Amino acid sequence: MKKLVILSLLIVAVVSMTAAMGEKEGAAAQPAEKVMTHDELVAAAKAEGRVVVYSITSRIAGAATDFEKLYGIKVEASNLKDGELIEKVTKEVGGGITGADFVISQDSGRVFGQLIATGYLVNYVPPTLKSVIPVKYQSPLTFQLINKVFIFNSEKNQSPVIKNVWELTEPKWKGLVQFKDPKSEGVNANFLTMLTSPEWSSKLDRAYQDLYSKKLVLTTKNAGYEWIKRFFENGLVLGNSDTTISENIGIKGQPQQTLGLFVYSKTRFDAKKNLALLPMTEVVPFSGFIYPAFIQLTKNAKNVNAAKLFIEYLMTKEGFAPWAKDVGSYSANPTIAVNEGDYPVSFWAPRLVPEDPQFLFENRAAVEEFVNNIAYK
Amino acid sequence: MTTGNQLRSFARKPHNVILIVLAVTLSFLTLFPLISLAKDTLIVHPSEIMTVKGSSVGDATLFHWKKVFFDGETSQNMFYKPFWNTVNVSLWACAISLLLGGSVAWLVTRSDLRWKPFISTVFIFPYIMPSWTLAMAWLNFFRNRLIGGAPGLFTALTGIETANWFAYGFFPIVIVLGLHYAPFAYILIGGILRNMDANLEEAAVILKAGRLKILSRITLPIIMPAVLSTFLLVFSSCMSAFAVPAFLGTPVRFQVLTTQLYRTLNGLNPGYGYIMALVMIVIGTGILLVNQWIVGKRKSFTTITGKSSNISLVKLKAFKNPVSVLLILFVGVIAILPLVTFAVESFIMAPGDYSIKNMTTQFWIGPGSEDVGGGEPGILLNKYIYLGLWNSVKLSVIVAFVAGTVGALAGYAVVKARGTRLASLVNNLAFFPYLMPSMAFGAIYLSMFAKRNLFIPSLYGSFALLVLVGAVKYLPFASRAGMNAMLQLSNEIEEAAQIIGIPWWKRMVRIIFPIQKSSFLSGYLLPFISCMRELALFVLLIVPANRVLTTMLFQYNEKGWNQYANAINLLIVLIVLIFNTVINKVTGASIDKGIGG
Repeated sequence: MKKLVILSLLIVAVVSMTAAMGEKEGAAAQPAEKVMTHDELVAAAKAEGRVVVYSITSRIAGAATDFEKLYGIKVEASNLKDGELIEKVTKEVGGGITGADFVISQDSGRVFGQLIATGYLVNYVPPTLKSVIPVKYQSPLTFQLINKVFIFNSEKNQSPVIKNVWELTEPKWKGLVQFKDPKSEGVNANFLTMLTSPEWSSKLDRAYQDLYSKKLVLTTKNAGYEWIKRFFENGLVLGNSDTTISENIGIKGQPQQTLGLFVYSKTRFDAKKNLALLPMTEVVPFSGFIYPAFIQLTKNAKNVNAAKLFIEYLMTKEGFAPWAKDVGSYSANPTIAVNEGDYPVSFWAPRLVPEDPQFLFENRAAVEEFVNNIAYK
Repeated sequence: MTTGNQLRSFARKPHNVILIVLAVTLSFLTLFPLISLAKDTLIVHPSEIMTVKGSSVGDATLFHWKKVFFDGETSQNMFYKPFWNTVNVSLWACAISLLLGGSVAWLVTRSDLRWKPFISTVFIFPYIMPSWTLAMAWLNFFRNRLIGGAPGLFTALTGIETANWFAYGFFPIVIVLGLHYAPFAYILIGGILRNMDANLEEAAVILKAGRLKILSRITLPIIMPAVLSTFLLVFSSCMSAFAVPAFLGTPVRFQVLTTQLYRTLNGLNPGYGYIMALVMIVIGTGILLVNQWIVGKRKSFTTITGKSSNISLVKLKAFKNPVSVLLILFVGVIAILPLVTFAVESFIMAPGDYSIKNMTTQFWIGPGSEDVGGGEPGILLNKYIYLGLWNSVKLSVIVAFVAGTVGALAGYAVVKARGTRLASLVNNLAFFPYLMPSMAFGAIYLSMFAKRNLFIPSLYGSFALLVLVGAVKYLPFASRAGMNAMLQLSNEIEEAAQIIGIPWWKRMVRIIFPIQKSSFLSGYLLPFISCMRELALFVLLIVPANRVLTTMLFQYNEKGWNQYANAINLLIVLIVLIFNTVINKVTGASIDKGIGG
């Protein structure tokens, strides 16, 4: 009988070992909100000694290194795609699992519906910045605004190559325009969704008349859908990464004029990677789109104080340095100057399509299905 | 005997206890998750409140089923088209790998080919390397400007622009998968050819039958059942391939089930994904049944007698040198050249410019710089790479240990109780995970363990979950190896020890294991290597804290940071090859034994 016991113990051990390993209890306890002085916060953060952040922007890596140096607090930073980040946070916080302490997220429709409405993300505005950051950026706290604009290869020609977005549906541009697959990044799907809103579809309708001096004949629900359909069906090249697209568009020695709709900040690669990229700012009715990245604590953050300290740091000039070095990033903190080669948000805002979380939440799924059907025919 | 006595005598045999424990555990780990998966196709998930109007999380709904199967154009684009693409790709890739692997197997075992040891070692490299290695090499070479912007090495060297159909989509996916699984077919078919009783062939030779006649009338019919079963195994492997279609298909919007699965599970509609996972599992199960039916019929052929005399090798005569040289070139192109392209690509600064002045060590040992990527340092200075490497090795070692041990015990017990219903149940349960597509397997574990379930806490994000899914998925390799080891071992050896009262565990540790050391160790080696290069299985389950090298590579690739990706890929391939060689040299274990049998 003894050997039997040993045997079963062995098997049970092998099987259950795997189950027991690495399993940690989520620290669900939320410390009571009390106002700490900045010094107290620093002390408490140092006592925690580490902080975990998930971020949609890869430049968090640079900021993390600087923060580690400044405070001696270890940072574990991960760069995730927007949808991936939302899924991970949903599962981690929903399952009471210790994961990120704070996140920098984007894709407002989903973030509002899936993470903020459920209470998975908790807003925190650093007391030192309450009077600095405009109220409209405080709930949820916006880390930065990001813009994606029409950018063209400027090797041979430095003046804008289109004046109206409807030109992109003409045979002239067939196969020469690139855009990131809206299925691989939520904000791109958001942009398309916003185009179907009453406001933007009527703007598109007017733009069509301006360009061709005739009425747009619809084969779809409205001018927004119509533009999306023709834009995609004109040999639009879908990419998986704005970095790759920037290289594809910007590389020198191309036989034909190309252009793309991608993150403006990628023009920072110009010098090192020998690319030629210039943005267009006067396209009718929009030159691209703009969206916020939010910065918030998770509900079950373990290193709350270190996270708060890092959030505060990222909202200051030093913390924002990795982003401010280049164009295309706009801190919600107005005291941080925009890069010299760039325009302020007040310049961009009227030229770009913004996000409306409520409209996105209600219409995004339908537009995604529509896009899927024309893109994967 | 009374029932009590019967029970007692049943329980006195260790292999019976092993079988019972395994039957219960494996049912729990393979069948129970299926129920959870089925349930997940019928409820509203957190991200679906945007899609399923007016619902709240957890509501029951038939929405996903309707959309996936019965919604006209939507279902066509979302499910049916990727489904047929999958079937098509798998069939063609299968044909290529069988032809190629079978021919090489025949040449190596049955002809007087030159340089056999070198060819047979290097030919299986593509199988040891991560499956997307060749896909990345293909892109490095044949990327074209029409879609990819910077042209690849081929265009840079020759000035010839590759066509879209050649660079991306169906064609390269089929070629790459075919090449990747050719070694697999080679190992399986080669094993049969090697072990086949040569007497029949010799008889034919004596009767002066022609070589061609011998091949078509004797050799092929004998190995046909094995070839069919190889076909099914390769088919199911191709069907579950994720990385290759993900890399080569996306640029031309070519979708297969696995890529759809990944997109839906990370997008707005995980419910769709769970249905696709279910479909893939149904196909896998179907293949298992067909395979069993074929293997069952094969029993009428005694393929392994162990006594086959030395068959005279076919003389290739005038073809000997050309064929040998061609094969050497071929294995060089598919196994060694890709590594060279990774090395080259990882040193390039401006894309598409292969001049010396454009070379940089930035991506290996450079400091972080925002104007070339996201400010991450070169991979040898990047702490996250070391974290990923450590996680990969740790995970693979533990998975290999668990799978190898359980597999050895399973092999022991199944062989001991050969012929009983319980043994064949455990045998099937242990083989079942093999036919579940990795990504679908990941999906069901995600569905089952992302929340508290029965007495098990939520394992999502834990290292334990990765170990569990890896161990179960690779159990088939280990149990196969364990069974082969036991089949070759005569029962008397253990009985002798039993008579003089040696306890069971001592018999295992001191007698059985040492005798068949290399076979058993092969059962540890294959899970280890598979785990080191696995992507599809883990990609849904990984969280940043326990990321492994392969998932990091995938992320770098998706971000378009090609140089980092190539550098990491080279790192993974080298590690796997080194481990494989060292283990092979030190212990004599080899991957052929795990699958070839």
